[in-house]
Amino acid sequence: MFKNHIKIAFRNLWKNKGYSSLNIIGLAIGITCASLIFLWVENEFNYNSSIPEKDLVYYVPTNQMYEGEWGTFYSSPGPLAADLKEEIPEVVKAGRLWTSNFLFNVGDNTIKSSGEYADYDMIDIFGLSFIEGTKETAFNNPNSIIITQETAANLFGKNTQVLGKNVLVNNSENFIVTGVIKDLPDNTSFSFNWLVPFDNFINDNPWAKGYGNNFADTFVKLAPGVDVVSVDEKVRKILPSKKEENDTEAFLHSSQDWHLRSEFKNGKVDGGEIKFVQLFIIIAIIILVIACINFMNLATARSEKRANEVGVRKALGSEKKTLTYQFIIEAVITAALSSFISILLIILMLPKFNMLVEKQLTLGLNQPLHLLFFISITLLCGVFAGLYPAFYLSSFKPVEVLKGIRTKKSSAIFIRKGLVITQFSVSIIFIISTIIVYQQIEHVKNRELGFEKENLIEIPVNGNMISSFPPIQQDLISSGMFSHVALNSSKIFSAGYNGSGLNWQGGINTEDILIRFRWITSDFLNTAGMEIVEGRNFSKNLAKDSTNILVTQSFARLMGDDSPIGKVVHREQAYTVVGVVKDYLYGDMYGASKPLIFFSGKEDARFLYVKKKAGVSNESALAKLERVVNTYNPAFPFEYTFVEDSFDSRFRSETLIGDLTKVFALLAIFISCLGLFGLAAYTAEQRKKEIGIRKVLGASVDNLAKLLSSEFLKLVIISCIIAFPIAWFVMEQWLQDYAYRIEIHWWVFIAAGIAAICIAIITVSTQAIKAAIANPIKSLRAE
Amino acid sequence: MIKITDLEKFYRTEEVQTIAINKLSFEVKEGEFVSVMGPSGCGKSTLLNILGLLDDPNGGSYLFNGTEVAGFNERKRANLRKHNIGFVFQSFNLIDELSVFENVELPLIYTGVKAAERKERVHEVLEKMQIMHRRKHFPQQLSGGQQQRVAVARAVVNNPKLILADEPTGNLDSSNGNEVMDLLTELNATGTTIIMVTHSEHDAKYSHRIIRMLDGQKVTENILSEFKKRPKVEL
Repeated sequence: MFKNHIKIAFRNLWKNKGYSSLNIIGLAIGITCASLIFLWVENEFNYNSSIPEKDLVYYVPTNQMYEGEWGTFYSSPGPLAADLKEEIPEVVKAGRLWTSNFLFNVGDNTIKSSGEYADYDMIDIFGLSFIEGTKETAFNNPNSIIITQETAANLFGKNTQVLGKNVLVNNSENFIVTGVIKDLPDNTSFSFNWLVPFDNFINDNPWAKGYGNNFADTFVKLAPGVDVVSVDEKVRKILPSKKEENDTEAFLHSSQDWHLRSEFKNGKVDGGEIKFVQLFIIIAIIILVIACINFMNLATARSEKRANEVGVRKALGSEKKTLTYQFIIEAVITAALSSFISILLIILMLPKFNMLVEKQLTLGLNQPLHLLFFISITLLCGVFAGLYPAFYLSSFKPVEVLKGIRTKKSSAIFIRKGLVITQFSVSIIFIISTIIVYQQIEHVKNRELGFEKENLIEIPVNGNMISSFPPIQQDLISSGMFSHVALNSSKIFSAGYNGSGLNWQGGINTEDILIRFRWITSDFLNTAGMEIVEGRNFSKNLAKDSTNILVTQSFARLMGDDSPIGKVVHREQAYTVVGVVKDYLYGDMYGASKPLIFFSGKEDARFLYVKKKAGVSNESALAKLERVVNTYNPAFPFEYTFVEDSFDSRFRSETLIGDLTKVFALLAIFISCLGLFGLAAYTAEQRKKEIGIRKVLGASVDNLAKLLSSEFLKLVIISCIIAFPIAWFVMEQWLQDYAYRIEIHWWVFIAAGIAAICIAIITVSTQAIKAAIANPIKSLRAE
Repeated sequence: MIKITDLEKFYRTEEVQTIAINKLSFEVKEGEFVSVMGPSGCGKSTLLNILGLLDDPNGGSYLFNGTEVAGFNERKRANLRKHNIGFVFQSFNLIDELSVFENVELPLIYTGVKAAERKERVHEVLEKMQIMHRRKHFPQQLSGGQQQRVAVARAVVNNPKLILADEPTGNLDSSNGNEVMDLLTELNATGTTIIMVTHSEHDAKYSHRIIRMLDGQKVTENILSEFKKRPKVEL
């Protein structure tokens, strides 16, 4: 029986090549989308899977109370790790990381590489696997260094034994390679190219020994089977007991949540990447449903062609369930062919998709999970798409169909129209979403930032760039290519250093207000195009302004309604406000500008900012910059970033959503149009005789095309009516997450509606015109 | 074998009720060959559909081998049909996507016959119908007469007790029509009960008895030849 079903399925597919192709292509596109999303989602869920006993490993962030709300920080005081291990018996391993960039020199080979200062326990917590050396001897002295396989190859060449070899770090200190570890997988939350003992960092930074700081990444591993809630309670009590204050606490954040649930609100986990994972799972399901609807619609529309077969089979003794089974098998075979095509499509599209999502995903059909996914999605699509047509077809009464009584049921037509409306509603929602996401991204990108990001170049400070700053500045300005050069202790966009507990005469208690700090050279405001709204800028002689500060407007507002100029602010020492800078945006691009103080000084500078003159080409400007920086700082490779690029990269998530929504909107509308095309073709075929008679009676091609198209247009218009409020609600919810957001405009809906109608007209009218221009004699003679 | 008593069937639309079978009663003995005749719309085909359990009566009784089958559900009807009844239609009703062999094989699949036995039985019946050489062809590649021979082969392959033929020669020329009637007569000679609906007096003469209908009722009944019950011979 099964063989018979398969045989007839293939013969039917072959006999109706046109309709089969529409079904197979539609489903193949749907399955391709779902599979690509599956690969991405799998990668997201597998984050940190290289960590052994992942469920026992926790990160320890800290909560700090500001303005009555907990703010969560991915950092903790230096001694916390050791104290957790000592005071909480359930904590079996505890360690810290502190990220740094090293300049490595081996012979003539110079490489800049990021890595971590790490405690010994981190080797066990991350389950690092040694290719050379052993974990026991890896951190024997403070100048030991563990490097990854890739770093070893980059420094010493491939297939070289590197254990015991020397590496010069930052042109100042020699480290001995005591271990080579396997490279970390791409999907890991904490990646590094090297590890050196944390003691090395402590020796250079004695401030890190006490509880008066908050800088380290602290990790713990718990004993198996312990009650995590009670351990978390113990962890939360540690900081208040050490710091003797209740406005700070550490807590456990499971490694299973590091990647997907990494956002916090008022001290509690509040989503993260999981939002995107959920969103794209929903999108995958929607695209698949749209593709399955094509199958349902075409199968039921063409049911009359199969009705006779149903009648005969029933007369020969087939039960309804046998027929249902047969039609589902046919659908599963269609889905299987689609899956096969989708594998080819995935192979073709994966490189582009990888570029889009910035991952290295592979099809990996040899992986059981991937194979299971393909089998499951084939069966699922087949059964889902085939179920309704199977029940519909198998319910035909043999006595009616064998007599040739028309099998068109009004309920089936109603459902078919409903399904077309569903497809187009979803497509229109996608179109509207795409426009609104794009508008929101552009809205924020074009936001008044309070500085000019254009032509601004950011160069990390290292080596002797601070001491060489005056000649670097002079050479660059005298080149005529740059208008301003300055130093800053933070990246222009980042939140940077912060502190609290400032006070001033008649001031409010700032104990629980987080104030950001920047140390800048005098030309920074000009370099960044920031505006002084009151008072003056720092003078060129930095020392002259060592006890003066500039504040932003939002800080000035904290100080009161009067002019802040001349007022004294205390932070360890007294500083006089000499100028007010127009508020500018940093940190959260969607939020408001937060209070900030500029100090005069270059000792803590970490970034050099250079303003390129308009009209100077990037190529020549960068070449000049590199020459000048290398002249004064030859030991370090030249690195730079255009601030405009780093600004764009801050919208990575939104851009990804925008790009993917655009792709899915196009695919959804394409798949829907495939179905509409099939239905239009079938309707035209069905109404061949009617068209012939109408033509003979004098109907024009125009009249007939309108007649055939109008039925489908009505459906698209109904889809618009359904889609508009849903799209408005969904996008309004999405925009709720953004403090700085657009208002949704009515024209977006009209534009999406018109786009959908135009696409539908083009799809349907080709078939309608084809039917209308056919010779009526042929169709009438055939009757 | 078949006994219907006061059988009724009517079709109802919103405004009118049409009576297709009106208190019809008759009996068909095992091995008998009965023709049902009458003008178009007299209820012949409706009767055949009810006898073949493709349609439900609205009233009356239908005994098949002594069992009341009028109230059977879909599953029981399908089961009784596949084991006991073969159909021959005017328009052949072969499945276009299946070859001759596969069309004939279909009833055996539904009755769960094993593949090897199916092959043997299909070959046997195709030989008998002299259509073996066309077993790999598809219906569209056959003439009308050949298609009806395949349809007869399909109807008898399961060795049914009853064959219901609805104008089996209606779409055939006289020579092909005679061939089909000869086939049915041969089948009847092996003990298969046949009920045939026909417009053709010529075809009706092949049967033992003619029931004539008008407006859903039996008008007359003519016995053409004496029916002697013969044991059913398996094909």
